[in-house]
Amino acid sequence: MTHLDRKLLRDLRTIKSQALAVALVMACGLAMMVMTRSLIRSLETARSEYYARNRFAEVFAGLKRAPLSLVDEIARIDGVAAVQPGIALQVTLDIPGLPEPARAEINSVPDRAVQQLNRLHLRSGHLLGLGSRHEILVGEAFAEAHGLQPGATISAILNGRKLALRVAGVALSPEYIFESPPGAALPDNRTFGIFWMRYEEIAEAYSLKGGFNKVSLTLAPGASEKHVIAELDRMLVPYGGTGAFDRKDHPSHIRVSDEIRILQVISFGFPLVFLSVAAFMTNAVMSRQIHLQREQIAILKAFGFTDWQVGLHFFKFTLAIVSVGALLGAVGGMLLGYRLVDMYHLFFRFPRLDFLVSWGTLFGAAGASSATAFVGVAGVVKRAMRLPPAQAMRPEAPADYRPALLERTRFGARMTLSVRMALRNVQRKPWQSFLTTVALSLAAGILVIPNAFRDGIRYVLDFQWDLIQHETVSVRLVEPGPARALEDFRHLPGVVTAEPMRTVPVEFRAGSRSRRLGLVGLPANGDLTRILDAQEHPKPIPAHGVVLSRKLAEVLGVERGGLLHVRVLAEKRTEAWLPVTDLAEDFAGIIAYMDLEAMNRMLHSGDEINGARLTIAGGSWSDFLEAMKNSPRTSGVVIKEAMRDSFRKTTAESIGLLQTIYSLFATVVAFGIAYNSARISLSERQRELATLRVLGFSQAEVGGVLVMEMVILAAASLPVGLAFGSLLAGGILHSVNTETVRLPLVLTGANYAYSVLVMTLATTLSLWFACRKLNRLDLVGALKAPE
Amino acid sequence: MCVVAADSPSSAQDPLFVVRGLTKTYGDGEAAVHALVGVDLDLFPGELVVLLGASGSGKSTLLNNLGGLDTPTSGKLNYRGWSLDEADQEGLTRYRRDVVGFVFQFYNLIPSLTARENVALITEVAADPMSPDDALALVGLTDRRNHFPAQLSGGEQQRVAIARAIAKRPEVLLCDEPTGALDIHTGITVLDAVQRINRELGTLTVIITHNAAIAAMSDRVLTLSDGRLVGQKKNPQRLAVQELQW
Repeated sequence: MTHLDRKLLRDLRTIKSQALAVALVMACGLAMMVMTRSLIRSLETARSEYYARNRFAEVFAGLKRAPLSLVDEIARIDGVAAVQPGIALQVTLDIPGLPEPARAEINSVPDRAVQQLNRLHLRSGHLLGLGSRHEILVGEAFAEAHGLQPGATISAILNGRKLALRVAGVALSPEYIFESPPGAALPDNRTFGIFWMRYEEIAEAYSLKGGFNKVSLTLAPGASEKHVIAELDRMLVPYGGTGAFDRKDHPSHIRVSDEIRILQVISFGFPLVFLSVAAFMTNAVMSRQIHLQREQIAILKAFGFTDWQVGLHFFKFTLAIVSVGALLGAVGGMLLGYRLVDMYHLFFRFPRLDFLVSWGTLFGAAGASSATAFVGVAGVVKRAMRLPPAQAMRPEAPADYRPALLERTRFGARMTLSVRMALRNVQRKPWQSFLTTVALSLAAGILVIPNAFRDGIRYVLDFQWDLIQHETVSVRLVEPGPARALEDFRHLPGVVTAEPMRTVPVEFRAGSRSRRLGLVGLPANGDLTRILDAQEHPKPIPAHGVVLSRKLAEVLGVERGGLLHVRVLAEKRTEAWLPVTDLAEDFAGIIAYMDLEAMNRMLHSGDEINGARLTIAGGSWSDFLEAMKNSPRTSGVVIKEAMRDSFRKTTAESIGLLQTIYSLFATVVAFGIAYNSARISLSERQRELATLRVLGFSQAEVGGVLVMEMVILAAASLPVGLAFGSLLAGGILHSVNTETVRLPLVLTGANYAYSVLVMTLATTLSLWFACRKLNRLDLVGALKAPE
Repeated sequence: MCVVAADSPSSAQDPLFVVRGLTKTYGDGEAAVHALVGVDLDLFPGELVVLLGASGSGKSTLLNNLGGLDTPTSGKLNYRGWSLDEADQEGLTRYRRDVVGFVFQFYNLIPSLTARENVALITEVAADPMSPDDALALVGLTDRRNHFPAQLSGGEQQRVAIARAIAKRPEVLLCDEPTGALDIHTGITVLDAVQRINRELGTLTVIITHNAAIAAMSDRVLTLSDGRLVGQKKNPQRLAVQELQW
């Protein structure tokens, strides 16, 4: 080690806390980038490997029932590589110890032929043997939620018959990476599961022998997906086809893609802010170091060190700080990534989800942030290199000051000298003051974002569960039935209110844009599902036309008063033109409502319903649930509170974890910036402050002078920071605005107050540290130094 | 030759400072540096004292102790019966604030304040100050009062420092190499200001210098060597600054 390097190490030791603050801010940015980019890589790799290995289909379609002979015809469609027919049905379960009824989607597995597509991955137990009876495979998420092991039994109602089913094994399928009930935005593994049963057995139970009600396809290379979907749709029309779709509309695929998309958004904006702040801080620390070492630079040069040796010395200084930051960031990002991959296991079921470090990101981000830091200090180092030794050895001339602009206002006369000193200092170094304010603003701003996420989610949940849905449970019928079926629900124990509901799969088309979804029919004077505007005011369901969620209208490019073409994808495949009568605010999925009677008229079906929303008296709750468990006509029960509970235990926890990480990082940045600014301010004004102490000013009075400048900058940064944070939060939330979920920008006073509080605390603590250092200052020594 | 201050203060008055056995040691063991070793000294009101000595002789340490910037390791240091050797930080701050005016080699002005504001900074907190304008007038800087330090020459900056030091009407003015960073002509204007203050306000003034020629403007010359007071000479007559032989 050269003596110059030894000097470097000792210099670093003297500014260790400042260097650490810079390294920590950089580490936070890098950790976040490494964590998110690695998670993206992990999810994408796990998904594509899983899809390839288990031959996940590319086109999917549901239908009422078609003969298996149709499969050959489907296989002949130009561009189809493989076809996998099957049966999928909803069944009600009776789980001992679970008060409410649970549901499962039961899928068929071929008896003899090998499953061509969507192959299962067996986690434990064995596959279903030929001729096995009353045996099922259970999806892992549901099995885990109920502690089901191979050999356990479970009661299910299959086509009105209660059967005890034996669990042969626990399995996964690329179709159900995200195991959620159809149409639900959130998983509820307690009350919904995925099962597999032998084709023969399930076909027998539902009188579907020789038929199928779902089909999956893969495409030949170069095939036109659009063409295949159109042909398949045409072919399935006579068999009650509900519309074919590709992977990008596959519910499980969408959820994984949405998660990746959200990660992509947050893997960039947030860390970028952190890394820019770190670059600025490095520049500030290095500028100060070079300024303080003027004389040393001069002496080195006087003794024959070249400009380059001096320059390299200070670049090594930066390199040391950046290396610590990169190391901490990489390790932190990997540790957090491992922790979050575990969390993803709650939502996404892959045969393997390994944490794969995105080395490219790690080295790229470390390289980029180092480069930014180096560019930031290049100018300062260049100044050091150019400093003529003779000039550097002389004390610098006093800094040139001017009265501050604010002093010329009418407040000027009333300003104390310490305020004047602070203002003039700010004005003399406008660039440094500006950058410090910007850095503090960024810190204040990024503190707003995690809480804006939290508040947005809270708002959506309250909006969805308290303002839109007023029922206790919603129930679905196995088959659409006459309106009097509602009377049966009314007579169930504890039912206070019952409102009918009918959902039909439709395709909306407006010009070249189209979407497939469930159109919900609601009663005219219903109260349990409310249609709300942006101000949360309820609107009546119009007697004719459809009400679209704002997002759906945006997706279809229609406005209120526009016309939509509706093609019903089930039952009697009617078509109609419907006016968009109103727009509704909502945040989950894309929804369309219409008056139930008008819907039935459109379907030419008479008064039919396929579900109901109910409110239940508290005292009769268990009787109601018991009755539902034994109701053969019900295919599903969704309990609002159970969904909310499930959300709290899963999604809320994971969001909470992310929010904690982000808040922690934002707080580290806030403290880092405030601390560094305070230390630099102290270092710059050490001599001036020591003079004041010598002249008889008390520690508190001198501390006040030091504090004033930081307080001015911090106060100026707060409104800018809060505005910046709001904009950034808006931008981030806007970019995660998907058809599955949208988060409104909810900016609460509490959120702003939190940001202000953390910034105030960070500034106060940093100033306290600086003042403590100031109090320990060797007055005589500080005075003797010419600068 | 002109004789200054016929009514030169004398030891007939009670001393302002009584210094007995003043010792200051930095560090301990073999590395101990004995900056002051048993210094005995009385300083009287209105006196102008010059402290001479080579580098490391203990001049600055003595001045720092007299000014309440440092405390002795042992010995007695009394100002008007106030035991500075026993005072805590708060007490020393009060002492510096109320009693002492400092002038430093490198001026130590606040660069962000104008000349007048540098002085006003002190008059704002002093008990019975003169107006900043009067203080600047005493050092002949009335015309430059609204200039910032960067706009003043070295001599002017040092005169602002003197104005700042005397604006609170201190009983003691301590000057550490006040002309050390100045050329001869500027040095003379600065010393002239110091002498005027001493004469007109009757402030006990202690000047540290390497320049033995300055000694002739004082009432008493103290010489320090290796931390000990090795010489004490009373000038029968003080010379006016303009008559000093540089």
